[in-house]
Amino acid sequence: MASQILPLELIDRCIGSRIWVITKGEREFAGKLLGFDDFVNMVLEDVTEYINTEDGVKKVRLQQTLLNGNNICMLVPGSSGPEDA
Amino acid sequence: MADLSAQVQEPFDLVRLSLSERVFVKLKGERSLVGVLHAYDGHMNMIMSDVEETILLVEPEEEVNGAGTVQTVKRQLEMLFVRGDSVILVSPGAR
Amino acid sequence: MSASPPQDQAGASAGTVGTPADFLKGVIGKRVVVRLTSGVDYQGLLSCLDGYMNIALEQTEEYVDGAVVNRYGDAFIRGNNVLYISAMESI
Repeated sequence: MASQILPLELIDRCIGSRIWVITKGEREFAGKLLGFDDFVNMVLEDVTEYINTEDGVKKVRLQQTLLNGNNICMLVPGSSGPEDA
Repeated sequence: MADLSAQVQEPFDLVRLSLSERVFVKLKGERSLVGVLHAYDGHMNMIMSDVEETILLVEPEEEVNGAGTVQTVKRQLEMLFVRGDSVILVSPGAR
Repeated sequence: MSASPPQDQAGASAGTVGTPADFLKGVIGKRVVVRLTSGVDYQGLLSCLDGYMNIALEQTEEYVDGAVVNRYGDAFIRGNNVLYISAMESI
């Protein structure tokens, strides 16, 4: 059991690199991870917000952004977002 | 309104400074209230009086021209308890 | 509200200066856009916020579908509705 790694340890190792955040709703975010806390509130930099609508994907560029952990569903470490998948 | 920024050190200060004043409250479900704020707590549960409630009824209707019809319904309420979890926004000095 | 404010526990992740608590400290007084989960945006001057992401904004403009629909001198926004707080100027 010595090699057991906690989920948030993995995310901790992503600090400084790009990450893809998928929310519970129709939104996704990609950006450089600056930090996070135990609630998985996350601070991202150079962010692109992807809004999935019926008419396609809308993109919004953001500077430093604090994402509320409440709405976060999944994280994809090392990914630059949906366009990278 | 005077510059409140010096007196507002945490968000609830803004609400505290609105006690006994008329406030605008935006609620979930396309509802809004204007009334006098008497009490609130950390959940943002509130007691308000002399309240006018506005409900926005958006009817989808035929999607020929996209926009559905918007209808507003207003009603007056003498005294009201508002459960905090439906509160989106509180603004002092209501129109 | 049962959860304790995040800033009490921030720093649990590494010793970097980029935690949510650091962001909260740095963003006060800056112009921000606050997006709610409903998609409504609020732009204004961030006067303060707490660990629940309750927010007090000054000179607030409410945007729906990119258009201003309301202005508030001051506004309290309840944190549970907040999707994100984004700085419109560098921190």
